[in-house]
Amino acid sequence: MTHQTHSYHMVNPSPWPLTGALSAFLMTSGLIMWFHFNSLILLALSLLTNTLTMYQWWRDIVRESTFQGHHTPTVQKGLRYGMILFILSEALFFMGFFWAFYHSSLAPTPELGGSWPPTGIRPLNPLEVPLLNTSVLLASGVSITWAHHSLMEGNRKHTLQALLITIMLGLYFTLLQASEYYEASFTISDGIYGSTFFVATGFHGLHVIIGSTFLIVCFMRQLTFHFTSNHHFGFEAAAWYWHFVDVVWLFLYISIYWWGS
Amino acid sequence: MYYKFSSFTQKLTGAWASDAYNPQGLRPVVSTEAPPIIFATPTKLSSNSTAYDYAGKNKVPELQKFFQKSDGVPIHLKRGLPDQMLYRTTMALTVGGTIYCLIALYMASQPRNK
Repeated sequence: MTHQTHSYHMVNPSPWPLTGALSAFLMTSGLIMWFHFNSLILLALSLLTNTLTMYQWWRDIVRESTFQGHHTPTVQKGLRYGMILFILSEALFFMGFFWAFYHSSLAPTPELGGSWPPTGIRPLNPLEVPLLNTSVLLASGVSITWAHHSLMEGNRKHTLQALLITIMLGLYFTLLQASEYYEASFTISDGIYGSTFFVATGFHGLHVIIGSTFLIVCFMRQLTFHFTSNHHFGFEAAAWYWHFVDVVWLFLYISIYWWGS
Repeated sequence: MYYKFSSFTQKLTGAWASDAYNPQGLRPVVSTEAPPIIFATPTKLSSNSTAYDYAGKNKVPELQKFFQKSDGVPIHLKRGLPDQMLYRTTMALTVGGTIYCLIALYMASQPRNK
């Protein structure tokens, strides 16, 4: 049996890129069917197939790394580059929505009453729940750093505790934000204010949910002894993503909640 | 000049003396002396420091042996039946859904005669 003479990972042929691409096709078509023909079947199918693809693709990566040992330092370096570039692309994604917000709010049109917030809009008080949300995410940044140091020092109990605290804080943020959405006196269809507010904070909320899911997966993996004190890139990637989510919130809070009120 | 290992870039980077004298990840030295000899019934050496552990024992070594069996099966089917069922379900839903989608798009593109 021949062995490779390089430190890269030659992956087994996998069906998941195909199912992922097809599920994306179903998702876009499903949205059209929902918007124009009031049918949810295709969208529901797309969400299901997308979830199945993600579950099996990442399950395979855990098998290849933790169980088969394919993640050499060279492979890990590539994964680090990949995660950094992905997070950078997400940062640019959010910058677009911040551009839209500042475009509309720096020079409010006469139709809005020439002011920001526009006439008739009662913005949320930035010193109430939004400030609590800020402290919740900042605290979660501290707890995830504690978790990381505990992991590097080989302290299993503390790693699990700190990770759990981080996840709880993330879920608390999501619940608080959901209640704010319910209580707000304006909706997404209330002019440009509503659009910029809910699209920017909405995408952020989606990223908090994604980040929390990633952290929950890390928690399960830590429970089942997957991470070692010097090889735990999955955890580091989750931590980077979580810090990114925190930073985006800080920009949102300062721009939309505070300056924009 | 002092150096430390940056876990972010995975390289050595410059550091201050404080990092050199308080290195990251330094754990207190565990005594390497042999424990005193016990002449009575030997007690079992506990492998867990906590009274109970959340997930039981570490199954990773067995899973490593299992997944490293060289049977030529690709990674996404390596566990056998449960993997196959999930793969077939995913494929069926995705490909079936695509066919349904193409038909729906074809029908939606037909002009509605008034």
